[in-house]
Amino acid sequence: MSVTTVQSPQNRRAILSEIVGHYGTAIAGLVLIAFFVTFAPNFATPVNIVNVIKDTSFLAILAIGFTLAFTVAELDLSIAEMASLAAVVAGWLVQSQYPPLAAVAAALAVGAALGAINGYGVTRLRVPSLIMTLGTAAVAKGLAFMITQGVAFVGRWPVGFTGLARGTTFGLPNLVLWLAGVSLFAYGLVKWTRTGAHMVATGEADEAARLAGIATARMKRIGMLLSGVCAGITAVLLAANLSSAAPNMAGDYLLYAIAAVLLGMTMFEPGKPNIGGTLFAAIVLKVLGNGLVLMGAPYYVQDIVLGIIIIGSVAFSASAMKKAAFKV
Amino acid sequence: MTDVAANASPLLSLRGIGKNYGPVVAVRDVDLDIHTGEVVAICGDNGAGKSSLIKVMSGAEEPTSGTMQMRGKDVHFASPHDALEHGVATIYQDLALAPRLSIAQNVFMGSELTRPFVLPFLRLLDKAKMIEESRRYLSKLSVAIQDMTRPVERLSGGQRQAVAISRALRWNADIIIMDEPTAALGVKETALVLDLIRTLKAGGHTVILISHNMRDVVALADRVVIMGAGRKFVDRPIDGLTADDLTHLIMSGNARAA
Ligand SMILES: Nc1ncnc2c1ncn2[C@@H]1O[C@H](COP(=O)(O)OP(=O)(O)O)[C@@H](O)[C@H]1O
Ligand SMILES: [Mg+2]
Repeated sequence: MSVTTVQSPQNRRAILSEIVGHYGTAIAGLVLIAFFVTFAPNFATPVNIVNVIKDTSFLAILAIGFTLAFTVAELDLSIAEMASLAAVVAGWLVQSQYPPLAAVAAALAVGAALGAINGYGVTRLRVPSLIMTLGTAAVAKGLAFMITQGVAFVGRWPVGFTGLARGTTFGLPNLVLWLAGVSLFAYGLVKWTRTGAHMVATGEADEAARLAGIATARMKRIGMLLSGVCAGITAVLLAANLSSAAPNMAGDYLLYAIAAVLLGMTMFEPGKPNIGGTLFAAIVLKVLGNGLVLMGAPYYVQDIVLGIIIIGSVAFSASAMKKAAFKV
Repeated sequence: MTDVAANASPLLSLRGIGKNYGPVVAVRDVDLDIHTGEVVAICGDNGAGKSSLIKVMSGAEEPTSGTMQMRGKDVHFASPHDALEHGVATIYQDLALAPRLSIAQNVFMGSELTRPFVLPFLRLLDKAKMIEESRRYLSKLSVAIQDMTRPVERLSGGQRQAVAISRALRWNADIIIMDEPTAALGVKETALVLDLIRTLKAGGHTVILISHNMRDVVALADRVVIMGAGRKFVDRPIDGLTADDLTHLIMSGNARAA
């Protein structure tokens, strides 16, 4: 049957709408990138491109954490403040001449601990994640200011630490390698492992998953824990790249990360948080932000555009979901 | 059928089961024996306690009083997972499927086929095998769907029932409990589900079925249990009963209970 109907106009339209539904915003993103490459002054210079790539790495790693929490249907609004606190702790240790490894371990531990607390609050104390992570964010912010007393740690930090973000390995920027590693881990976890399948089932249909014998509370804790760990990794890379750590250093990434995840949900697997979408959306958003600056748009235009993208993405996903639900 | 029932030890037996929700007495003092290979229909008016009774059997609710035995051994189901491990699978009224996940993902939800990985705490999914096995379960139920990656939300109501039943088969359940499997379905879809249940019976499965449709009950069940006000007041083989007889039995029970 399918062989003969492939050619029919209805079917061609269905295929077209499938393509638009899955790749429409991704294609629009590519067009946007091409636009800035062509028209934004100084966009296509090596220095600028390296900067965009670096900035994309911080954002994408943070946003992948958010994606993993969102995969188990929890919002993690504490990612940026967790990253700031973890960066401050790492910077403090580096400044106090602790070995780089200790600083890295401490930053990851801070992220993991806060992520675990978020998971505990959501599953055991039954605090909705929106509230729980807002609370954690406030606590993390306060602690970061307490540790730094409001000023930044800056100094001549050892290359063993700064090289984590600024160095290269086999000719590739370390930041890009970190991003590749985190992306591959997250993608592999969600797509290829049983734990990932249980996380997805938990996020898709909590009650059905529980009745099927899945430990849904544990899956939620894993998702939120991994979000914290991603914030910890981002923290290390941010601090290493700047040789400094300030109590609000990741603050600007929250809105960007949310936009990346939601825009990512409009592509590849419409309506579902997905790692590939987050990654591609992060690139598009950073290119957009950078391109706007280069073309002379005032700084506040970025916020306006981000806000519109956030709302537009959700509206687009919602309509994609509706269409999928009614199409038989 | 009655001879067999009298001789063989029951697969599942309930003794003195009661279920209260606070002050509400939903089930009182029910004894029930379920034998291998039977299709038992549980009927009764709304609020009669049917759902509450099967929730006890499926581990979704713990009984307030009474005991359960499987194959002569005492069992205690504290969760749906416990019941599954004892071979009792329940297909809930709302099916408990994840609509946006694929057929294969739904059939194997919570019991995925895996291969070991270098990291011992992570197991890799064997997707190809799960797709192949899902297709086998569905074709066992005579449901011909080719694409096992299709999301469940794009299936018809009857096909969704088949996916839910496939999951029960996947659990290797001896007893499959279905709460109003045809309630939300049209004529054609209902016929499909009735066929599914016949296929299960032919495959040696035991089915407990809640239904409001007396014609379905007469067509499928070996035995009918009628409840009213939490009590079981009829438990007899179906032989010879018509749909109208059943309706009268339910109404006379209600009259007695009132
Ligand atoms: N979770 C619950 N909490 C309180 N009362 C309940 C609950 N579930 C069922 N009941 C009550 O128990 C009685 C039996 O309900 P139920 O088992 O759903 O009957 P049926 O499935 O035969 O319609 C009804 O009076 C109903 O209101
Ligand atoms: Mg009911």
